[in-house]
Amino acid sequence: MRKIILSTAFIIPVLAFGQLDRSIRPEAGPAPVINIEDSEVFKTENGITVVLSEDHKLPKVSFQLVMGASPQLEGELAGLSEVAGSLIMSGTANRSKDELDNEVDYIGASLNASSGSIRLSCLSKHLDKGLDLMSDVLLNANFPQSEVDRIIKQNESGLLSTKSDPSSMARNAKARANFPGHPYGEVMTESTLANINRDAIVGYYNRVFTPKESYLVIVGDIDKEKATEMAEKYFGSWNGETPDTKTLGTFGPSAGNRVIFVKKPGAVQSVVSVTFPIDIHPGHEDYLKLKVLNGVLGGGAFGNRLMQNLREDKAYTYGCRSSISVNENGSSFSAGGNFRNEVTDSAITEILFELERITSAVVEDDEINLTKSSMAGGFARSLEQASTIARFALSIIKNDLPKDYYQTYLQKLDAITKEDLLEVAKKYLTASQCNIVVVGNEEILEKLKVFDADGKIEKLDAFGNESKEILPADISKDDLISKYIFTVTNTASEKALQKKMKKVKSMEEVIELNMDQVPFPMKLTRAWLKPNSVGEKMEGQGMVFQRSFFDGTSGASISMQLGKEEMSPEEVAAKQKSYGIFPEMNYATSGIEYELIGIENRDGKDCYVLQVNDGQSEKYAYYNKSTFYKVALVSIEASEEGTQETTMTFDDFEEMDGFIFPKTINISAGGANFSGKVISRELNAKIDISSFQ
Amino acid sequence: MRHLFIAGLLSVVSFTSFSQREIEFVEYDLDNGIHVILHEERATPIVAVSVLYHVGSKNEKPERTGFAHFFEHLLFEGSENIGRGEYSELVEKNGGTLNANTSHDRTFYYEILPSNQLELGLWLESERLLHAKVDNEGIETQRSVVKEEKRQRIDNQPYATFIGETFKRMFTEHPYNWQPIGSMEHLDAAQEEDYINFYRTFYVPANATLSIAGDIDIEQTKKWIDKYFASIPKGEAINLYRDIETMSAADFESKYGVAKDKFSTQNFMKQKDASAGKVVRKYAATAVDIPRPEKATERLDRVIEDVIYDNIQLPGLFMAYQFPEQTNEDMYALQMMNDVLSGGASSRINKSLVEKKQMATFAFSFSYGLEHAGLGIFAAIAAKDVPLEDIQTEFDAQIDLIKNELVSQEEFEKIRNQYENDFVSSNSSVAGIAENLADNHVYNGGAKNVNSELEKYLNVTREDIQRVAKKYLTQDARIILKYLPKEEDNQ
Repeated sequence: MRKIILSTAFIIPVLAFGQLDRSIRPEAGPAPVINIEDSEVFKTENGITVVLSEDHKLPKVSFQLVMGASPQLEGELAGLSEVAGSLIMSGTANRSKDELDNEVDYIGASLNASSGSIRLSCLSKHLDKGLDLMSDVLLNANFPQSEVDRIIKQNESGLLSTKSDPSSMARNAKARANFPGHPYGEVMTESTLANINRDAIVGYYNRVFTPKESYLVIVGDIDKEKATEMAEKYFGSWNGETPDTKTLGTFGPSAGNRVIFVKKPGAVQSVVSVTFPIDIHPGHEDYLKLKVLNGVLGGGAFGNRLMQNLREDKAYTYGCRSSISVNENGSSFSAGGNFRNEVTDSAITEILFELERITSAVVEDDEINLTKSSMAGGFARSLEQASTIARFALSIIKNDLPKDYYQTYLQKLDAITKEDLLEVAKKYLTASQCNIVVVGNEEILEKLKVFDADGKIEKLDAFGNESKEILPADISKDDLISKYIFTVTNTASEKALQKKMKKVKSMEEVIELNMDQVPFPMKLTRAWLKPNSVGEKMEGQGMVFQRSFFDGTSGASISMQLGKEEMSPEEVAAKQKSYGIFPEMNYATSGIEYELIGIENRDGKDCYVLQVNDGQSEKYAYYNKSTFYKVALVSIEASEEGTQETTMTFDDFEEMDGFIFPKTINISAGGANFSGKVISRELNAKIDISSFQ
Repeated sequence: MRHLFIAGLLSVVSFTSFSQREIEFVEYDLDNGIHVILHEERATPIVAVSVLYHVGSKNEKPERTGFAHFFEHLLFEGSENIGRGEYSELVEKNGGTLNANTSHDRTFYYEILPSNQLELGLWLESERLLHAKVDNEGIETQRSVVKEEKRQRIDNQPYATFIGETFKRMFTEHPYNWQPIGSMEHLDAAQEEDYINFYRTFYVPANATLSIAGDIDIEQTKKWIDKYFASIPKGEAINLYRDIETMSAADFESKYGVAKDKFSTQNFMKQKDASAGKVVRKYAATAVDIPRPEKATERLDRVIEDVIYDNIQLPGLFMAYQFPEQTNEDMYALQMMNDVLSGGASSRINKSLVEKKQMATFAFSFSYGLEHAGLGIFAAIAAKDVPLEDIQTEFDAQIDLIKNELVSQEEFEKIRNQYENDFVSSNSSVAGIAENLADNHVYNGGAKNVNSELEKYLNVTREDIQRVAKKYLTQDARIILKYLPKEEDNQ
């Protein structure tokens, strides 16, 4: 064996070296031709279009079924397709979810599903077994109620995060602004999620997962004869309705610039997106040119115009980018990033300036060349994945592209000129018909008016619905606080209150917190000892992840990851301003800043909103207008890395030892959502604060 | 956190990978000693250009540890013709991507580029080899980067010191005694000259394997390799070349006895000046002495038991056995034995210790094959209030079981299926192929072995697994480390 290899080896006679100037950087060779084999296309008897890309490089095969139905308006069930998609792999009439997972593992395969497709990838020799599992899922998925409940709960947590995540808020507002009355403009909310049940999911599955108009994309080590045989054997008995496949068409931009604002209390940065629908579909001859144009403007990796202007020159942001999203059923452009409050308006001015500039003059040679070679490289590297080849084969058929579209992609890319770019820029981009979406602090609102064509800013909530205005409060801030305190302490006079509180020396509560992503419950213990000592401890799996304490004058937090960190003087000062079981009792004297903002509707209930600032974080406390219970507390801490927001909601109030406390405490922070139940709460318990140290 | 921990461990469990598909390649040596391996695969218009330097932490001096890894960082600082920060910029601007890594045994650099940028990749790598910037400015920058890396990946990760603690006890003489990340004090104490000497010793043609895979024309590639790599001076002449570029005229002349301006770097091997030509020929004829440690001969012959206090909440148990070096035939069966014990959620250790008996929050084993030695490690993080002794008893029961009974046919089949799938997938990228070829050339008796590895695994029988379990899982010669929370230290 060794000998044969050696005999093929080529021993270079090193005789003379040519003169070599190493400072000369090599030029790129001509754009390579891509060797993508033509795909075979044929139909099965029940109407599936099979796209076969043979690739015998490795003994692996993938089968992907892609449904042909167009997106549908979901209305009161918005989000149904998402929920249904994540449930397809949750078991069949023949196999529980565990059994399914085990059988997939045994053959070293992968099998996944989404709202419009199912995909198998395995070694060729396990193809029969793999397809047996795949067709079982396709034909017999049975959506067990327990899994439906689990996934709906997961989505509830997701929606909770949306309320504190400015990027999700911006995404929702963009969808609504660019695609009104269109499936792309629908957004899942708490009320639409509540309407989704197993029947709706099964209905969706039957409507969408149907052979007619579907595609079966087969890639890998398999020939046409075998592919035909397998397609018929495993998917030939599949029947179903005729899906709705009408193309929804594309939108053009609206008349005049609109400013769409989503309020994010306490934000120190705004999320800005200058966006508009564009009238183009994936098979259009302008598409590739538009992609290059976008690369020059703000899509490329280095030195694109938006980055250069807003980051390098003006230092408004860490990143400002643009993107285009092009689909059969609706396409859009957006440009933006995160900007500090005080430069938000300047950033919008610059983005509009760049849009104006790129539509009025040809780009530089360097700019177009850089974008083209970076795109060529990314394209080329993506081809190593068999799934890319499959995606291309499907795109050729679905979008009616020429058969050699991807084979000649690099040459087409190479042939694009800067004049082409100017032409598509004028045709598709605009600086005067934009939806300017801003998620941020209300204090910047006034400065945004100039961008709106009619001066009327539209305000949306986190899910893109028209936001309800804050009404002026009908009581004073101190009236609110005393009403709240009297309510939760079951007292009616200041004297009675003082008498009652005198007896309270300590409290300890234990909350069990559950989180979808964590298989075990976490335990949060919170202790308070008169006058102003507190301890907190977060545990799970027998480990203490984090604990903290404060003794009235100093404190520290200790975490597994970061070790011990002493409280800063600012943190100590903040703690000294807000203490006790009901910190509101001390607001008048503790030096804390508080302001009653007004009445806002929160989850269907009118609430007084009290803004509180302890010098360390800004908090918004929500008090139910009719019961005076505190139902939510949003706290926003700003640091150099941005703001961190924690939302606590309180529910299931009940009386204990003459006080009113919530039984349910949900916490949402940094994208993680915990649902919490108070499992014990004790007044005047023996508390050893040192156990938190 | 748990996932980070697992990911960290998986990254050290590296074994060479293979597939059923015959991987064809061409290999040859340049006159200056660079070994070249070329694999042509035209399916995708990309190319992976990699250089493997046969230098890892085991080549370091005991008082200068961490150098090999440090160089992995330093050598992105630029070269005579490449500015600071330009390495990655050039690659990315041209649609490529790049990275590098360091182990006990090797330092590996690679770029993945569009195939029409092959020449750029060769130029970049030849610049790194010939005359990278090794100066105080780069050293200072990278020192802080490496310190941050150590802080993040080792110091701040609970239990993460167990590998170092195990190696320290397993190898008291061999330089596997320390880990690639090395000592920050050593890096601080080292002078510019120490770094320059390391570069002059290990970054020389005879220590490099250039492995290229992808959409290449073999003949054209050879021509470019001639241009950029064959022109790199042989033997000590490379250091003469570096001196011409970096030394002052006076220092140079006093070292070599010939004025610097007599030399031309552009056509280095064919100097016009006779005296310069003589010096070049003399140095080219002198091989660079690359120090390599002797293979580890020390044998673990007893039970070493120690307690280590760490910033942790739950105690952990780490047991290590001596395994053979990675090229030993027994390693195939040992790897498969390990997968029966710990390959995936349905493996024995996970099922027994974690799921059924709930003694551990996390338990696994893995085998560690290196050029000069190997280790088998069993590890568990205890569940709350479970004594480490109980965990050890359960591990020992599992070890007894695999020593005393054949693994079941079904377990055996599952492992074989997973191996096959993993191996096939591992050769699905040209970058993976370039790396496997280079690794096999340097460490595994020849690049050709890339084509026979899977077969070697599939030839392992259930009886082999039992045999190696008996041979290597020696209960009277092992290291047992108990990790306990630091606070208990004070009580």
